[in-house]
Amino acid sequence: MSRAAVVGTGIVCSIGADVPSFTAALRAGRSGIVADEDGLGAPISGWSFPDALDEGPLRARALRSARRAPPPVQAAVAAALQAWTAARLSEAPVPGERIGVVVAGHNLTARYAYDLGRSFVDNPAYLPARFALHAWDTDHVGTLSEVFAATGEGFTVGGASASGNVGIVHATRLVASGAVDCCVLVGALTEMTPLHRKGFAVLGALAEADGDPAAACRPFDRDRRGFVPGEAAAALVLESPESVARRGAEVLATVEGCALGLDGNRLADPSAAGEARVMGRALRAAGVEPDGIDYVNAHGTASRLGDETEVAALHAVFGPARPWVNSTKGLTGHCLGAAGVVEAVATVAQLTGGFAHPNVNLDRPVDDRTRFVGAVAQPAGLRRALSNGFGFGGINSAVVFARAVDGG
Amino acid sequence: MTVFDAVKDSLIEVVPEVDPEQVTAGRSLADLGCTSIDRAEVVTLAMERLGIVVPIGEFRDVNNIDAIVDLLRKHV
Repeated sequence: MSRAAVVGTGIVCSIGADVPSFTAALRAGRSGIVADEDGLGAPISGWSFPDALDEGPLRARALRSARRAPPPVQAAVAAALQAWTAARLSEAPVPGERIGVVVAGHNLTARYAYDLGRSFVDNPAYLPARFALHAWDTDHVGTLSEVFAATGEGFTVGGASASGNVGIVHATRLVASGAVDCCVLVGALTEMTPLHRKGFAVLGALAEADGDPAAACRPFDRDRRGFVPGEAAAALVLESPESVARRGAEVLATVEGCALGLDGNRLADPSAAGEARVMGRALRAAGVEPDGIDYVNAHGTASRLGDETEVAALHAVFGPARPWVNSTKGLTGHCLGAAGVVEAVATVAQLTGGFAHPNVNLDRPVDDRTRFVGAVAQPAGLRRALSNGFGFGGINSAVVFARAVDGG
Repeated sequence: MTVFDAVKDSLIEVVPEVDPEQVTAGRSLADLGCTSIDRAEVVTLAMERLGIVVPIGEFRDVNNIDAIVDLLRKHV
C-alpha cells in the first residue's frame, strides 16, 4: 500500500500533557496510575483547556469552538493542536478542502450523558441547550474541523479497544487514496462512568485496588490481574509524500502497512490465530519480514487471557525473530478508544528517540522466549515497529511504523 | 438577582469574548456575537439562575436582551 507520513504528534494523558513530557515519562518508566474513590485509574489531573493552549494563531478559535465543550472534546482539540503545530501547518498550509479529520473511539459522550442524566431527572428544563450537539461523538469531528478550517472528509471510527488503530488505518487510507493530502487523526478520551466501570468489573477485566497503585497494572507478568482504565487524547497528523515534499515538512515516521480483521465472534474471547493473522497481513502490506521489525508495542492490557493470547500470537508471527516488546498501558493505563493512537505516539517517540520504554511491573514474565524490555529503558536504534490493538467483539488490528531515516 | 443580571451573567458565561459594557437592554444577541445555539443556551442558563421554567417555544422570535428579560420576568 502507499504510505502516509507522520508529520506531527500530540498527547494529553496522565503522564504528560505534551509530547516531550510524555516521552520523558516513557523513558523514565513513570506510571500515571493512582487509586481514588472510584478505584484504580490513570486520570488526567491538574489540566485545564485554556491553560493548555499556546499563544498560537489558532488559540482564539480553539477557545471559541471548545471552551464549553465536554472534556473529551477539549482534550482532543489540545492534542490535535500540538500535532498541527509540530507539522507546521499554520506556517506551511495545506488547502482546507484537502484536510481530513478522523476521530477514533466511540461512546465518547457516555460520561457527559451520564452526568446530565442524573440532573435531568429533577430538572429537565435546564438541560444545556447544546446537549443535542455534544451528545454525538461527531461533535469531536465538527469541533476539530472548525478549529482547523478543514473541509475534506471527516468521520468517527470505532473498534472497541482497537479503535485507535482502526483510526490509523482509515486515516492512512484517506491519505494513500488521494481523498485528502493531510489528515488530522485523534484518538479520543474515553471517560469512565460508574456504570461502565462496573460493567468491566463484572467481567473480571478490571484490576482491583490492592497495595501500591503503581504496581497494579502488570502487562505480561505472571501476577497480572486485569487492566486499569486510563485517560488520554492523542493525535497524529498524517500526510501524503507529495504534500510533504510540497510543504517541505519534516517527517517523523511513516505508516508502512496496516491490517484489520475480525475473529467472527461477539465476545471478549481473544484468538491467537486472529491476532497473528492481522500482524502477518500488516507485515506483508509493509513488505517487511518478521526479522525486519525491531520493536512491538503490544496491546498488553494486563488481562489474564489477553496477554497470554498475544504472546502466543507473537510467537506464531515472529518465530525465531526477537523484537523488543513492551506495553505502554503499564504506564498510561488502558486508554480504551484512544489506546492505539496513544501507542502510536509512544512508538514514534521511541523510534525517533532510540529507546524502548520499560515494562516497570514485569517481575516474572509469562514467557521467557519473548524479548520483553525490563524495568529500565532499553537504548535501541529501532528502525521499524509493529503496534497491536485488539478489541471486544474480536476486532484485531496491527500497524507497522518505520523511522523516517529508513522510510521517509 | 434581577432578571437582567441573570441574562447578562449567562451571556458572559456562554460568550466570554463579549464586552460586558455592551450588554445593554436594546442589543440583539446576534449583534453581540451569539449564534442561535448560544442564544438557546443563554436562555436555559438564565432560567436556571432564576429558578423558573418557561416553555422553550415562547422564545421562538425573541432575539434581543430586553425581549428575553421581559419574557422571563412574566414567569418570575
